Amino acid sequence: MLTYEKAAPDRPRTEHPALPWVTTVARLVLAAVLIVAGGLKIGAPALSVQAVKAYQLLPDSLATAIGYGLPIVEIVIGVLLVVGLLTRVAAVVSGLLMLAFVVGIASAWARGLRIDCGCFGGGGELGAGEDPNYLWEILRDFGLVIVAAWIFIRPPGRLAMDSALGLTGPREPYQPEGDIFQGEEPDA
Amino acid sequence: MSKAARGASVRARIAAQREAERKQEQRRRLATIITVVVVVLAVISGGWWYAAQQSKSETVAGGLAPVTVQSDGTAVMAKAGVTSPVLDIYEDPQCPVCKQLEEISGPTIKNLAAEGKVKVVYHPLTIFSQEPTRSNSLRAASALRCVSDGKQWIAFHDRLFKEQPRETVEGFKIDDLVKWGHDVGVTAPGFDSCVKDQTQQAAHEQFSTKTLQDQKLQGTPTLKLNGQQIDNNTIFVPSALRQEIINAGK
Repeated sequence: MLTYEKAAPDRPRTEHPALPWVTTVARLVLAAVLIVAGGLKIGAPALSVQAVKAYQLLPDSLATAIGYGLPIVEIVIGVLLVVGLLTRVAAVVSGLLMLAFVVGIASAWARGLRIDCGCFGGGGELGAGEDPNYLWEILRDFGLVIVAAWIFIRPPGRLAMDSALGLTGPREPYQPEGDIFQGEEPDA
Repeated sequence: MSKAARGASVRARIAAQREAERKQEQRRRLATIITVVVVVLAVISGGWWYAAQQSKSETVAGGLAPVTVQSDGTAVMAKAGVTSPVLDIYEDPQCPVCKQLEEISGPTIKNLAAEGKVKVVYHPLTIFSQEPTRSNSLRAASALRCVSDGKQWIAFHDRLFKEQPRETVEGFKIDDLVKWGHDVGVTAPGFDSCVKDQTQQAAHEQFSTKTLQDQKLQGTPTLKLNGQQIDNNTIFVPSALRQEIINAGK
């Protein structure tokens, strides 16, 4: 439904041929960040746990579970985005992840904690003489929320497994009435 | 059959066939999606399980290797006659990541020393420049310097990490430090006044600043094996740390 509503005013005629490529680029950008972030953390799970604990938001057992799971989730979602498989689901999950990071960092900032976000490895500890850079971290992650939203609204872009496997719906996504068809047909 | 009727039946057949194809296509799509989701969930749980395995700590099996407190405030833990490889541990009692390291890999380090595989040197430091963490760290590290018996030193050291306060509150209070000292068996007559008057603080600060500079430390915890810094992906994975140290001793 969201696709239909958002997309309709934009395309009285046919879609601009560059638009699916924009989605492809968005997928690759988001995927690169996720895979790098996950890859840097996955080698030292205990450190990743500590980075989650550093936010002092979650009980220890939950922080431990998230610390172990987050790196692999980031990598898997990143890979899904690269190949364009379950594109929309991957976009939603990564968007929610980024939002959670924004909330976590903002809350650390508000509480006057002095931590590193631990986004790309490290235990959430600032190096000697280092200052936190919360504003930049929030802006970066919020930008990535927008990138994820774009992918969600216009999936799956070119070079996507979703299209190759016919997972995008009954019609090719860039046919003019494709979305309208999806939106209106009862399809039961 | 009239032409019209035949036409209608053909149309109906075609419609039915289309409907069947559409249904089949839908089923195929659903099967693909389910397969992908199952694979994704399997990979994620596999990765999660592996991460948990990687972080499993050893338990301190037997006794500890003898600990000797040095005049500069460091402490050496090694079996008699073991001089290499040397594992230098730079840590701040207030640093949460150091606490995590002690919890995850501390037992491995103690076991390796007890097995005569490594000579361990503890360097308690203060890296914090802000309050309340700086004062917390100074009080704790200075109190540690008041312990001269090796066995008591390592027990007090472990207790400090166990009792580490959060970074936003005042902790490592003098009375607590004295009490924990007594708990772990410190009986030396000068201990109480040494902690209460913080007589070792100046010496500790001096040692800490000099060590941070000389060793070019970026932060704590830093582990150096024969002078070479060990990667985080090793020091937080007990099995990897054990392997690294054993290899260095070959």
